[in-house]
Amino acid sequence: MKLSEARVLVMRGPGTNCDAETAAAIVELGAKAEVVHVNRFIKGKRSLEEFHGLVIPGGFSFGDRIRSGAIFGKMLSYSLRRELQSFVDEGKPILGICNGFQVLIESGLLPFGEVGEPTLALAKNASARFEDRWVYLRKCNSSLFTLKLKNVSRMPVANAEGRVVLPLGEEKRMLAQLEENHQVALRYCSAEGEVAQGEYPLNPSGSYADIAGLTSPEGTILGMMPHPERAFYRYMYPDWTRGNNEAKGDGYAIFEGMLVYIVERF
Amino acid sequence: MKWEVRVSYKRGVQDPEGESTLYALKMLGFDRVKDVHTAKLFIIEGDYSREDVEKMCRRLLANPVSQDYEIRRVD
Amino acid sequence: MRRIQEYYRKLGREPTDVELETFAQTWSEHCVHKTFKGIILYDGEEIDGLLKSTVARVTRELSPEWCFSVFEDNAGIVDFEGDYAIAFKVETHNHPSAIEPFGGAATGVGGVIRDVLGVWGEPIANTDVLCFGPLDYPYEKLPEGMRHPRFIFTYVVAGIGSYGNNMGIPTVNGAIFFDESYVGNPLVYCGTVGIVKKSKYKREAKPGDVLLLVGGRTGRDGIHGVTFASSELEEGAEEIFGTAVQIGDPIEEEKIKRAILKVREAELGSAITDLGGGGLSSAIGEQAHRFGCGARVHLERVPLKYENMKPWEIWVSESQERMLLIVPPSNLDRVLEIFADEEVEATAIGELIPERRLEIYYHDEKVAELDVEFLFEGLPRVRRTARWSPPELSEPSFEPGRLGEDLHRILAMPNVASKESVIRTYDHEVKAATVLKPLQGEACDGPGDAAVLKPLRNSWKGIAISNGLNPEYGKIDAYWMAASAIDEAIRNNIAVGGRRIALLDNFCWGNPEKPENLGTLVRAAKACYDIARAYETPFISGKDSLYNESPLGGVTPTLLISALGIVPDVRRTVSMDFKREGSYIYILGETKPELGGSHYYKLKGFLGKSVPKVEPSKAKRTFEALTRAIDAGLVKACHDLSEGGLAVALAEMCFSGNVGAEVELSLVPTSQTMRHDFILFSESNSRFLVEVPPSKAQEFEALMNGVTFAKIGETGGDEVVVTHLGEELLREGIRELKESWQSGVRL
Repeated sequence: MKLSEARVLVMRGPGTNCDAETAAAIVELGAKAEVVHVNRFIKGKRSLEEFHGLVIPGGFSFGDRIRSGAIFGKMLSYSLRRELQSFVDEGKPILGICNGFQVLIESGLLPFGEVGEPTLALAKNASARFEDRWVYLRKCNSSLFTLKLKNVSRMPVANAEGRVVLPLGEEKRMLAQLEENHQVALRYCSAEGEVAQGEYPLNPSGSYADIAGLTSPEGTILGMMPHPERAFYRYMYPDWTRGNNEAKGDGYAIFEGMLVYIVERF
Repeated sequence: MKWEVRVSYKRGVQDPEGESTLYALKMLGFDRVKDVHTAKLFIIEGDYSREDVEKMCRRLLANPVSQDYEIRRVD
Repeated sequence: MRRIQEYYRKLGREPTDVELETFAQTWSEHCVHKTFKGIILYDGEEIDGLLKSTVARVTRELSPEWCFSVFEDNAGIVDFEGDYAIAFKVETHNHPSAIEPFGGAATGVGGVIRDVLGVWGEPIANTDVLCFGPLDYPYEKLPEGMRHPRFIFTYVVAGIGSYGNNMGIPTVNGAIFFDESYVGNPLVYCGTVGIVKKSKYKREAKPGDVLLLVGGRTGRDGIHGVTFASSELEEGAEEIFGTAVQIGDPIEEEKIKRAILKVREAELGSAITDLGGGGLSSAIGEQAHRFGCGARVHLERVPLKYENMKPWEIWVSESQERMLLIVPPSNLDRVLEIFADEEVEATAIGELIPERRLEIYYHDEKVAELDVEFLFEGLPRVRRTARWSPPELSEPSFEPGRLGEDLHRILAMPNVASKESVIRTYDHEVKAATVLKPLQGEACDGPGDAAVLKPLRNSWKGIAISNGLNPEYGKIDAYWMAASAIDEAIRNNIAVGGRRIALLDNFCWGNPEKPENLGTLVRAAKACYDIARAYETPFISGKDSLYNESPLGGVTPTLLISALGIVPDVRRTVSMDFKREGSYIYILGETKPELGGSHYYKLKGFLGKSVPKVEPSKAKRTFEALTRAIDAGLVKACHDLSEGGLAVALAEMCFSGNVGAEVELSLVPTSQTMRHDFILFSESNSRFLVEVPPSKAQEFEALMNGVTFAKIGETGGDEVVVTHLGEELLREGIRELKESWQSGVRL
């Protein structure tokens, strides 16, 4: 399909607040993006079938009450279960950013691509705070999303609950499984690309194994805490005035990868 | 019926709010505070059995990977 | 009160409780600004309306064509590009924050965001300026029941972050200031910037249009908030005004915002206003007054949080997250549908009527009938006396100590030190439009002068947002405090490439019924006129909060000036960090022996007398030349000189850029011979440090023709070195200086 025909859904719920810039990123790459409230799908007024890709953007869906992403996540896994699962099974890509990552975890879609109970958690940052800060990310797989990403990239995180927690006592086993499946997509690292080893502030949340982003086993779903839409152009960087003025930022590649895949696949 | 559901981080999962509260209390001179843990309390009114409330916990109120829950009937 | 009695005697009936409450709200200091609009006797002069004759006079005399709406709406609005205009409003939420800091600060943010929604604006950025007591204030000195500054600081910051972050509005600019006078009465200034489309700015309500109350439900919370705001904080205020404190719901407001913007785009409303102080009573009354008509309201239709609220309680409740839309009846169904889609409650509670009166019903009973004219014009003007005599102050005499050590200690003083730990808890880049962020430099931790936003996706045009605040100078003379605050806000804006600057004033003072308090207020207002008029920077909006007193006394006179400038092309914006080795360092502006109220004197335990003054005609030339140099691309870095003067600005530029510098003090242009330490730490206004590459030096110097300036050194190495005629006065490593600066304030 032509890029201009690719239709990406930016799904919002009450409290989603990064939808406009996320949709703008997709539109600026030449595809179509539409921001639609999740209620339209639950009420049957719109259908996921209309779209080739789905992005769940950042924000504070439902005020992050109960847990970040929990209510939105359960809405998807209970009210849109079948539609969503067939979306996934058709190989259509899903990107969850920040709160969207939390939603994907709570809906069960990550890490194993199946709607249902969560098998992983995003807990309160070790600092116990919301924190907005630019981080370095090491690319750890070559999924459709990360294919075009630099080996070491920079993007900002801005969250209070971004700490990946694996089931107690099974952390090592699960990490090994995730690594074997090439599901660890992004890790916090230093400017030189050395993984953070839990060191603050390189790893801003205290995330297990420095995990910043995970893909499903097939690689068609990516959840990430950092915000690629806020690193889309260089002028969005905190230090662009120091001279590096190339037009594109590192976040560009995430959306580009998603769209290239849609164009090739559908 | 009235149920109380207490959701907290599992022992072994870091509880940063608890830790910073501990730090702050010590700063205020409460030296004998040994540990602080935080929990969220939901008070649920409605005609449901304990099993139903268990389901609520598993489906929404707690993430079983990181959190424990305790259910108590209060009426 | 006598005026009301007379009025009802003439009517031949007793006022109802709803009517009395309406007067109490509408005629409160908070709503009518009695002091600023009244008559003040000062030094043999009769000032007929302080606001009119100072702040608003600047705008009236300048009347720039780019001012779209000033002092008329709840936010000032200036042109931006094409159909787009920028709205800016700054509010205070001091008393609620003293009693419940999290809720008080959060609802302060929520309230000012609604001010911008109330001009059909889309909020795009928040600012916050906070004043607290010292974080190390001894617990023993704290009166019973008063919260410790550390507690207030922690939860105010959390409240501000929570509301802005949840709503997805970046907090891009601010300041935190500590002073003992804020222990019992913190100051919480919340600002919001928004985008208005001029063609969609509807102010055309007429009789027959429906009054639509949208948003959260109405409860007893916030009843008497305005009378609370207009009284001193006494002991036990917590119990008396407990209901005035509220917790906000940013998600509700986020949904309201979405719905309002849809109504705006479809042009379905004829007017809009926020529900703030005084609740429905103020909002509906003001709209009726504005459109020269009246209103009929059915209070039983107002959705309530709980039953058994009395009609007057419904009428004056200040429950958060509510707005009033006025909608032509033919558009009502479509508007209701839009709100239903966002799951926001919207209820028609009445309509505008041709008769100029408010008719308030509760079920079928008429509970109030008020004459709109009398309600808004009937308040007798207050007459107050103001007095000012210069305080008895003198210049200290002391020997300079080790300058390097002094620099380290000033950098660690709370008013100078890094606020990074606070700034990071605010999302300052959601919306992906914050082009110049509050933290700058090589490690993204340097203190920026102003924030620059790029509000439109298809345009490089930007806005610069900055502030000025100098409470320390007010202890010497409120006139020069105000002048300095204006200068600081403007020069912060100029430093990043801003121009065509509009100002906002926010006065926080102690009880104005005390002539001394009113005296300093008058002096500050007069400076606002003199300086802003000379700089040709109109005021577009402002607010006063005049009863900031606690059992510990009144707050030191505090004027916040916020500035909004235009940046023609954000790619020309300049940050404050030195960019490379071997650049030339220029100082612009003249350094004078003005250390009164300086941080250097404070460090030595003095206040002094020689408060920094402003010479607008000279300063204006400096500003204009600097703007030309930035536009020509000659400036690599630029930082204004403020607290801590030359030494602090230089250190900040060095450690933020991770490059050292060597400067020669004898080259600094001074008004007279000055001690070395005074040159280093003087806080004279209208000064900048500028980094220029040697290849551009000639061009830069040519542009500075007519400006007091000098090349004082070069960047390089990893130390800050200051010499005088070759003799070394100071040599400090930039890493160590940064450590001192980062040690001062921790959240």
